[in-house]
Amino acid sequence: MPVLELREITKVFPGVVANDRVSLVLERGEIVALLGENGAGKSTLMNVVYGLLSSDGGQVLVDDKPVKIKSPRQAIDLGIGMVHQHFMLVEPLTVTENIVLGREPGRFGVIDFTTAHKKVQEIATRYGLKVDPDARIMDLSVGMQQRVEILKALYQGARVLILDEPTAVLTPQEAKELFSVVRSLVDEGLSVVFITHKLEEVMSVSDRIIVMRDGRVVGETKPSETDDVGLARMMVGRDVVLSVEKGPSECAAEVLEVTDLHVKDDRGLEAVRGVSFTVCGGEIVALAGVSGNGQSELIEAIVGLRRPVGGRLMLKGVDITHASARVSIEAGVSHIPEDRHRRGLVLEFDLAENLILGDHRMPPYATRGIMHPSAVTATAEKRIADYDIRTPSWHVLASNLSGGNQQKVVVAREIGRNPELLVAAQPTRGLDVGAIEFVHRQILKERESGKAVLLVSLELEEVLSLADRILVIYEGRIVREFTAGEADEETLGYFMTGGGGTKLEDEGRTEHAEMAEGDA
Amino acid sequence: MSESRETLPAHRAWMTVAQKVGTPIASVILAIGIGSVIMWASGYDPVAAFAALFKGSFGGPKQIGDTLLRSTPLILTGLSVAYGFRAGLFNIGAEGQLFMGGLVVAWLGVALTGLPWVVMVPLLVVAAMLAGAAWAFVPAILKARIGAHEVITTMMFTYIGRYIVSWLVVGPLKAPGQIPQTDALPIGSQLPRIQTLFSEATLEALPFLKLGRAHLGIVVAVIAALVVWFILKYTTLGYENRAVGFNPWASETGGISVQWTTVKALCISGALAGLAGAVEVMGVHHRIFDQFSSGFGFTGIAVALLAKNHPLGVIPAAILFGALSAGAGTMQLEAHVPQKIILIIQALVIFLVAAEEIVTWFIKRRQKEALSHVG
Amino acid sequence: MLGSIITPDLFAAALRMATPLALAAIGGTICERSGVVNIALEGIMLTGAFFGTVVALATGNPWLGVIAAMVSGVIVSAIHAFASINLRADQVVSGTAINILALGVTGFMMERLYGHPGTTDPSAMLRPVFKFAMADGGFLGTIWNWINGIFLSHTPIVYMAIIIAIVAQWAMYKTRWGLHLRALGEHPRAVDTVGVNVFRGRWVAVLISGALAGLAGANLTLEQVGSFTENMTNGRGFIALAANIFGRWTPVGSYLASLLFGFADALQIKLQIFRGQIDIPPQFFLMLPYVLTVVVLAGVVGRAVAPAAIGKPYEKE
Repeated sequence: MPVLELREITKVFPGVVANDRVSLVLERGEIVALLGENGAGKSTLMNVVYGLLSSDGGQVLVDDKPVKIKSPRQAIDLGIGMVHQHFMLVEPLTVTENIVLGREPGRFGVIDFTTAHKKVQEIATRYGLKVDPDARIMDLSVGMQQRVEILKALYQGARVLILDEPTAVLTPQEAKELFSVVRSLVDEGLSVVFITHKLEEVMSVSDRIIVMRDGRVVGETKPSETDDVGLARMMVGRDVVLSVEKGPSECAAEVLEVTDLHVKDDRGLEAVRGVSFTVCGGEIVALAGVSGNGQSELIEAIVGLRRPVGGRLMLKGVDITHASARVSIEAGVSHIPEDRHRRGLVLEFDLAENLILGDHRMPPYATRGIMHPSAVTATAEKRIADYDIRTPSWHVLASNLSGGNQQKVVVAREIGRNPELLVAAQPTRGLDVGAIEFVHRQILKERESGKAVLLVSLELEEVLSLADRILVIYEGRIVREFTAGEADEETLGYFMTGGGGTKLEDEGRTEHAEMAEGDA
Repeated sequence: MSESRETLPAHRAWMTVAQKVGTPIASVILAIGIGSVIMWASGYDPVAAFAALFKGSFGGPKQIGDTLLRSTPLILTGLSVAYGFRAGLFNIGAEGQLFMGGLVVAWLGVALTGLPWVVMVPLLVVAAMLAGAAWAFVPAILKARIGAHEVITTMMFTYIGRYIVSWLVVGPLKAPGQIPQTDALPIGSQLPRIQTLFSEATLEALPFLKLGRAHLGIVVAVIAALVVWFILKYTTLGYENRAVGFNPWASETGGISVQWTTVKALCISGALAGLAGAVEVMGVHHRIFDQFSSGFGFTGIAVALLAKNHPLGVIPAAILFGALSAGAGTMQLEAHVPQKIILIIQALVIFLVAAEEIVTWFIKRRQKEALSHVG
Repeated sequence: MLGSIITPDLFAAALRMATPLALAAIGGTICERSGVVNIALEGIMLTGAFFGTVVALATGNPWLGVIAAMVSGVIVSAIHAFASINLRADQVVSGTAINILALGVTGFMMERLYGHPGTTDPSAMLRPVFKFAMADGGFLGTIWNWINGIFLSHTPIVYMAIIIAIVAQWAMYKTRWGLHLRALGEHPRAVDTVGVNVFRGRWVAVLISGALAGLAGANLTLEQVGSFTENMTNGRGFIALAANIFGRWTPVGSYLASLLFGFADALQIKLQIFRGQIDIPPQFFLMLPYVLTVVVLAGVVGRAVAPAAIGKPYEKE
C-alpha cells in the first residue's frame, strides 16, 4: 500500500503551468528521487503536497485515502514532513525551541521545556542525530542546521519526509552523512522523497527515480536500469555535453596578486587569515570551499566591498588594497555577485538602468554628473543583443525577467565593461542547463581573450570543468592548490573539510608557498 | 512565476500608466467619500460642506490665490519627502527643517541690511536651504553610520527645532511688543505678491490676476519641482539616489557609496523643507513665530505619497491639499464643519495610496482574468 | 538647592512620567517582535487619551474611561493591522496615516462634542491606590517617607505598567504565544510551515499593542492631567519606540528604558521650578527628553539587533 500517492496534480501560475497532471506513488520504506532541472516543477509539486500551495487539479492520497491538504498543519497531521531548500529555522532561537515550534508540550499555553528537551533528546538518540538542544541555530553549521530540520519533521511525527535539494549546501562528506541518515530513517519505516538535480546523488541513494521536465513527469526508472548520460538526456530533453572543452592556459601576465590578505567578517572575526595567490591573464582560478570558510569575505575584499585588515591586493601593479567598490570597478575589476537579486540587480530598475550600473558615472553614459540617455539605451540594446537577453525591450523591469535572463543581464554588464579581472561568485546558481552553458561559455570567452577570472563555486563539477587552477579554502586559509586534471571531487571535498593538515598551514606560509609551487 | 512576465502586452502597458494616475485619483475620490460619510454621521451636511470648501478654494481669483498660497510650501515639503522616499528614507521631520529654514530667513532678513533685492532673496533662499540641510544632517549621519531610524530622529529634531524657535521668539529675536514673534522683514527681503507685479490697469483688464495673497514663492516652488525632476531623471546623483532607494546592496556592488548617498539624500530633502520655510516667511508672514507653519511638513508626507513620489506629480497633489486647507475656513464658517475634517481626509488619502490594494482591487482582478486567458 | 531637587517626589514623578512611555514601549515591543513596525503608537495613545476623557466626562467614572481608552486603542490598531498585514501596505506609512488620523479625529470630535478646540473640561480621575500616613521623622521615618513617596503614592495604571512589563516578559519567554511571537518577527515562513497562522499571530500582537498604547493614553488624561488637550501626546509615541529599541525589544528592557526617559522628564519639570535661580530658558528643559532620545539612539542602536523580518509584510507563496 502506498503511503503517498499523487494523481494528476496540476498547478498553474499566471501564464505558466508549473505542474501538468503529475502522478507519483511513494511506497513505505522507499526513497524516491525527484529529478529535474531548476524550474521543472519539482519544488512546486512538493509544496502542493505540503500544503504551502494549493493545486488547481488532481488528487492527493495518503494511505490510499483521498485528502485535501490546505495548510502545512494538515500535512504535518497526516505525517508529511518537509525539509526546505532554504531552512525554516528561526536563527536566534534554540534547537529545542525550533523543533517544538507549533507543537510545544505543556499546559495552559505554558511551555514545558523539561519535557521538550527530553523528547528532542529521545528522537535524536533514536535516529542517531546528535545535536546540542540548547545551541542557538545561528551558531550551528549548515549541516547541523539541516539535521535540526530533519529532527523537527520527525518530532512532528513525519512518516513521509520530503527533502528539497538537501545537498545543495553540503560538502561531499556532509552529503554522504546525510545519505546514511536517510538510509537509517528508511530502515525505521519512513518514506523519503528526495528533490535534486544532481545525477550522481540520484544514482547512489534512490530506489526509484522520477524525472520531471517542464512541469511533466517524463520518465521513471531505477538506478540499476540507467546511467548518468541517460538520466541527463531525460532531464534536459536532449543530449548534454557534460564537460567543457578548453585548451591549456598560459600565464600571459599576473593580473591579480593577493599577498597575505587578512579580512574580518561582519562579526569582527577574522574570516580570511593570510591568503596569498595570483591570477594570470588568460587563466581561470577557482576557489573551492564549503560555504562560510571565508570565500565571501575574500571576494568582497577583492572587489572593494570590504576593507582588508592586513595584506595587499595588486591589480596589474596598482595597489587596490583599500580601494572602494567604485575605485575597484574603475581599476578594471568586474564582479558577478553570489546573490543576483540582492547584490546584482536593482529589480525595480529597467534593463537599461541595470545594464550600466557601475558604469553610470563614466562617459559616454555621463559627463560631469549629467546622464546621456541615448548612450545608455544604445549600450543597453547592444548588450541585450550580444548576450541574448530575452526581452521585448530595455524598458522592461529587471524583476520581470526569468532567473536565467536576469543572470544574463548581470553577466552582460560585468563582462561588457571589458574588465581586467572577472570575479564570478556562484555564477550559475539556480539556472537551468541552457543558461548554465551560456554563462560557462562567456566565462571561457573571457579567458580566451586573455582576461583573468576568479571563480567561486560550491558546485565542484563546475569548478573541475572550468578551472585551470583550483585553490581549496578552509577556515580562511588556502590549504591546497591543484592544477586542472589533478583533482577530483573526493580529493577536493577531503581538503575542503579540513582533511590533510591545516597543521601544515599553521606552521607558516613559506611552507605553503613551496607546496603550491610544487603543485604548479 | 516570473517566466510568464517577460512579454508585456501592449494593452497592459497602458493599464500600468492608467494605474499610475488612476490610483491616486481614485484614492482622493474615495477619501472624500469616506470623509463625507463621517460628516454625515456626525450630523453635518457634506454637500454643503464641500460646496463651501470649493467656494473657499476656487470660488474666485482671491480664493485661487489662497489655494496657491497654501500649495506653495506644500509643493516644497512634498518634494522634500518625495526626494527622501526615492532614496528609501522617510523624512517625517520636514516640519522641523522647515522651521529652521524659516528661522534663518527671519533672522538674516532683518539682520542683513543694505543689500539689493536681487542679492538678498537668493541669499536668504540659499541660507534657508543650508539651515534645513543642517537640521537633517545629524539624523542623516546617524542613519548612515549606525542605522538609527530616521523616522524617530528627524521627529525628535522637529521637536527640538520648534522649542528653539519658541525660545528665540520670546527671547533673543523677539520684536518689541507683546506678541512673541520676530521683527518684520524689510520689503527688500520679501517675496512680493503676484498682483503687485501688475499695474492697476492690467489688473482691471485681467481680473483673474487679482490673486490676493498669492506670492512669487509659487514660482520658486515650481522651479524647485522641475529641478528635482531633472536631478532624479538626468543626473548621476538622481540615478544613485534611486538605486540606493530600491536596493542598497546592489548599489554598493555597483560602486555607489550607500552611506554618502543617504547623507546627501536626507540633506537635500532637508534643504527643500528649509526652502519651504523660507518661502513662508518671505512671502506670507514676513517674520517667524511659534505657529507659523500649520503642519506643512507633515502634510508634505501626504503630498509626496499622493504624487507617488514623482516630483512633477507633487504639484497637483500639493494644489489639492492646498485647496482643502484654503477652503477649510469657509467650510467651517458656512457649513459649520470643524476644519479638522481636512486632517481626516489627508490621513485617508495616505492610507488609500499606501494600501493600494483596496483601490486597485478591481484592476487586479481584471488583470488576473486577462492572464488566465493567456495561460 | 540639590537637596530640594533630589526628593522622593522627583523619583515618584519619574515613575509616573515613565508609565505612558513604558506601556506604549511594551506595546511596541510586542508589535515589533511579531514583525510589524508600529509608528502609530503616538496616534493610538492620543486616541486613547481622548476617548478615556470623553467617557469619563460622560459617565463620571474614570474606570469606564480606561476601558474606553483601551477599546479605542484596539480599534485604531486594527486599522494598522489590516493595512499592514492584510493589505501589505508600508507599515511606516500606515502608522503615519494613523497619527494624522488620530489628530484629525480627536480634534474633529472635540469640536463636535464640546463645541470648541483646545482643551476639554476636567474629568473624574483615578485616585492613588494607597494612602499611608507620613512618618514623623527619625532615620526609619525618613526611609519610610522615601519608600512611601516613591513607590506607594501612585495611581493604578502606574502599578499596572510594572505588572504588565513583568507578565509580558514572562509570557514572551515561557509561553507558546511568546515563542510564536519571537519566531514570527524573525522568520514568519518557518512559523507558517509548522502550521501556526502568521496573520493571526501578527493581528493579535498589533491589537495588544493598541490596547497598551490606549492604556498609556488613559494614564495621561485620567491619572496625570485630568483633561484632554489636542496633540497632548507630544511625541511620546516616538520616544516610546526609542525606549523599545533601547530596551532591546524586551518588555522589561522597555520599561527600564522608559524609566530613564521618565526621569529626564521629571527632572526637567523639577528644574523649571528653579527657573529664577538657574538662568536657562525653559525651552531647553522641554527639549531634554527629545535630545536624550537622539543620544540614546545614537549610542545604542548600532549594537541592538532588530527582529529580522521587521517591517516586511508576509505573503503566502
